[in-house]
Amino acid sequence: MNKEKISSQEIIDLVASKASVSKRAAEEFLKVMIASIEEGLLAGESVKIKSFGTFKLQWNEPRKSVNIQTREEILINGYYKVVFVPDATLKEQVNEPFAHLEPVELDTDPTKNELIEETDTVTDPRRLFNEQAVEIKNLISEIQALSRKPTAFIQEEMPVHEELNDEIKQIPDYKIEDTEYDAEIEEEIADPENRFEDKTTDQEPSTVEVPEAKEIKSVEENIPETGPDAELLNDAKNEDKSTLKEEDKPVTPDFISNPNYISSPIDLIEEKNIEIKEYTPENKESELISELASTPYLEDVMPLKRHKLRKWVFLILFLVIGSGTGLYIYYALSGDNSGTNMAQQVSISQIANTITDWINPAPKPTPKPIKVVIPKDTTETDYAVKEPVQPVDSVQLLFDNPRVFTEYIASERIKEGSRLTIMSRKYFKSKDFWVYIYEANKERISNPDEIAIGTLIRIPKLDPRLIDITNPRCMLKAKELHDIYVN
Amino acid sequence: MNNKELITSIAAKLNAPKSVAAILLETTVATCAQLLMEDKTIGFQSFGNFEVRKKDERLSVHPSTQIRTLIPPKLVVNFKQSNILKDKLKDMPHHE
Repeated sequence: MNKEKISSQEIIDLVASKASVSKRAAEEFLKVMIASIEEGLLAGESVKIKSFGTFKLQWNEPRKSVNIQTREEILINGYYKVVFVPDATLKEQVNEPFAHLEPVELDTDPTKNELIEETDTVTDPRRLFNEQAVEIKNLISEIQALSRKPTAFIQEEMPVHEELNDEIKQIPDYKIEDTEYDAEIEEEIADPENRFEDKTTDQEPSTVEVPEAKEIKSVEENIPETGPDAELLNDAKNEDKSTLKEEDKPVTPDFISNPNYISSPIDLIEEKNIEIKEYTPENKESELISELASTPYLEDVMPLKRHKLRKWVFLILFLVIGSGTGLYIYYALSGDNSGTNMAQQVSISQIANTITDWINPAPKPTPKPIKVVIPKDTTETDYAVKEPVQPVDSVQLLFDNPRVFTEYIASERIKEGSRLTIMSRKYFKSKDFWVYIYEANKERISNPDEIAIGTLIRIPKLDPRLIDITNPRCMLKAKELHDIYVN
Repeated sequence: MNNKELITSIAAKLNAPKSVAAILLETTVATCAQLLMEDKTIGFQSFGNFEVRKKDERLSVHPSTQIRTLIPPKLVVNFKQSNILKDKLKDMPHHE
């Protein structure tokens, strides 16, 4: 390395010109600065310079050594040494050329795989959650297929149907229920006979109450459990017990305050709204009645009030979001259907998000007034159901639709050492969004890891919502795309 | 000694207002950082050298999970004290 060495004199010249002072003044300043630092160090202190670093003294213990010529043992006295710890800003500035690199986990050892997977599921409840979400989606589409048949048939299929209803009403809640299903499975495995019995009881029309009781029971005690729901979800739950324990505790505010979890339920709501169209309004009303009928039952379960209340909170939550969706659809239909919708879509989903944020961190339940609210809000949801529904979440739309790049903000020619990630950092503030640059230049790049030198790369103009570094969904999406393109 | 105290100390010695000392210090720091970013070594007479060193990539193994991770190379600032400074510190008594 042919490093150029800059002497004090050159520094003095540079400082003098930059700060527009005379060279003498700059020289004097530098001398004084060094003297002051030394003084501080000699006084036994550490000296900190803002955005540069810290000078510290390090004591080196006395140690024995051997004189190489005479082989005599000699004692090296202990001494102080000045060490410099660079400040974070300086570190970043200096490391700029390598800033796009990231540590890579590379364990392919098959014997360790099990261990890794285990830790993955423990540390990443999000993945678990996604699996469950997919499972539930599948379930619903199955049920939807069933519900197209005559209503009488649906009545026979009450347990399944009820589950769907329950789910539709409480989408924001379903995360908790999922985790509780886990507990159910455990019980189920331990007690197959019970499961059989429960199945039979579920066939009765009074099953409206089952979801309520289920939730409470599964947490509190080992009362025999309901079969079909758990059974349907069974395949998804092969997780180990440690995961279950962690998930069992209904620490739901954690899950839900995470925007990831919030947003996904919203997506689900929309999907379900579309599905709800299939049901007749009468169906919905009967559901409402049955729900009201179930409330006295709840009053009986006084000792378990806490869980009941939480359930109510989520119920309100869903209703609020539902009415928000209803309002949006109303506006979307009364206004024109194209361009301006985007802004509304964003604001609605944002409102929904803030509402969820607002309610969830402090689940202080408001028990009684809810009864009054339910009929009113449900009718509003009914209204929403009758309308033709479009997916509300514009961000999801952005993710799912193939991106079309028409406008470009800049273009760069690939040189030695150029990286798409570096460009992404420069233009989009995060290296993860390089995938979009790649998408925009796909026809010129065969392999994103090896781009020919001299290739002209155009930097696309991207929707700010797509590259919002504060939105974990954007980052997740970029990571997904990264995995697709790299492999 | 933090940044403020250092500025106070410099200002006192220069017989100049603190604001001037602060500006000069800032400029010096910015200049040094700029030079270091250009991969240059800075030598302060009787104090020491600042230089940028490249730390090579390496494999790290998590002791408990045995997950191997490839740590990318990075550039770090290194300071080496001059012999003059070393001699000055030699006489300092060690007290814990």
